Amino acid sequence: MLKYVIFEGGLYRHERLLEFLEDVGGFVVQKTVAGLDLILNMAVPEEELPRLTAISGELKGKLREAPLIGTEIGIVAPTLSRHHLPHPACDIAEHLRRHGAKTNIMGLARGVGQKLVHTSAGERELIEEHDLAVFTLGNFEHCLSFKSPLFRELSIPVIVTGGPTSIGSIRGAQGYVGGIGRYPERFRTGEMIERLREISDLAGRLIEERRREIDQDPLAVDPVVVKEEVERQVPDALEALSPNPVTLKIDGIRVKLPFGQYSEKVANAVINGRRLGEVAVIKRSLMRDYILIRVLPRSKLPGGFVAAESRIP
Amino acid sequence: MQKAVEDLGIGGSVDSIHLLIRTGEPVFIIKIRYKEATGKSILGELARVEERQKGLRISLENEFDLADALRALWTAYGRSKVEQAGRTEIFVTGADPAEIKRVRVRDKEIDMAGKINELAMRVIPEGFRVRSVRRSQGETTFIAAEDPIREEWREMAAKLGAGE
Repeated sequence: MLKYVIFEGGLYRHERLLEFLEDVGGFVVQKTVAGLDLILNMAVPEEELPRLTAISGELKGKLREAPLIGTEIGIVAPTLSRHHLPHPACDIAEHLRRHGAKTNIMGLARGVGQKLVHTSAGERELIEEHDLAVFTLGNFEHCLSFKSPLFRELSIPVIVTGGPTSIGSIRGAQGYVGGIGRYPERFRTGEMIERLREISDLAGRLIEERRREIDQDPLAVDPVVVKEEVERQVPDALEALSPNPVTLKIDGIRVKLPFGQYSEKVANAVINGRRLGEVAVIKRSLMRDYILIRVLPRSKLPGGFVAAESRIP
Repeated sequence: MQKAVEDLGIGGSVDSIHLLIRTGEPVFIIKIRYKEATGKSILGELARVEERQKGLRISLENEFDLADALRALWTAYGRSKVEQAGRTEIFVTGADPAEIKRVRVRDKEIDMAGKINELAMRVIPEGFRVRSVRRSQGETTFIAAEDPIREEWREMAAKLGAGE
């Protein structure tokens, strides 16, 4: 199983890390260079982690585990108005990004009130394009109990944040973090930053759980491999101006290119001797016409799973 | 609530805010008592001007006017001669007292009722879209709910903050 880690250090001699990853079958998920500083999000085989730690120590860098690398998380506010945005949603998103996640912020059309509250099929589908959703709800315990229609039908793990600290859980959500609610300013105090840490920790646990579930019926190809191959075989993907033009997800990737123009090229990318279109569902994303690729589990492959080695002549 | 008042810069003008929230019904009532804007716009009407050894000390009656007064004085005398000395005090060097009293602080009158309205809109939960507003001199009461406004809520709103 791959472990996801973040390296924070200098740019000097970082090629050692890249060479090591290449040697042991690891991957660079995201590389951010700021001046002479480097932040490297990596996936490395679990058994190679001690050696990677040793190398990063030699480079005087910091290495920390970040289970949220390779995940796309949706932060969902009840509406787009100033009642619910920007502070709680943006601060939560920023903290999740520091732990490696790619985040998208969304506002619902009618996520408010006790009677009005609901989501449309389109909104649910868009939220389900993510690996996990964080709903930022309000201050009143009684009102929170009416909000479960927002997330109870979702097939992805859900974390709810709200004002009351007295309630332990919310029906339909996998986790609840209190003490946030309709917070009208940046999270500056230690107490509020602790709340953000709670959300990231909880998200990390839920994502690990989901990865273990997937391991029961492994994917035909690891999404990290799909990402690398798509970037290599469809180079336009790296030219897209969107942030993270090829976004890694738990069970696939999102390619930020127009579906109509590029879906065929992406489907024809060859991975381990098979067309990507054969081992993954490629569909039009509801987000800006992007290409969404979900890798099929081995049990769902047409014709069953054949190990790559046995097909290479 | 406190942050919304700060953001709108009306801390000095709001006398009291009373809230009644019943999540079970659900209804949200907010009564805001405030000082009406005076309609004065000349610095001599808004502040006391005293001569000091090195310049003029301007003491504003209301903190609310500080931002506009500073802007007007900076425009007239430049930043190097105008210094904020406190929450309601400004010190100006090298200016004539009679002339400074004639400085126009703002062109338009302050729409205090509009600012109070904005404050209430920011605080009332967004899902409570059925609203009733009652305004009188220096006081505005909003009742917000998801259902049509009931008579008992109006009575509760009328009694809110009456014990003061």
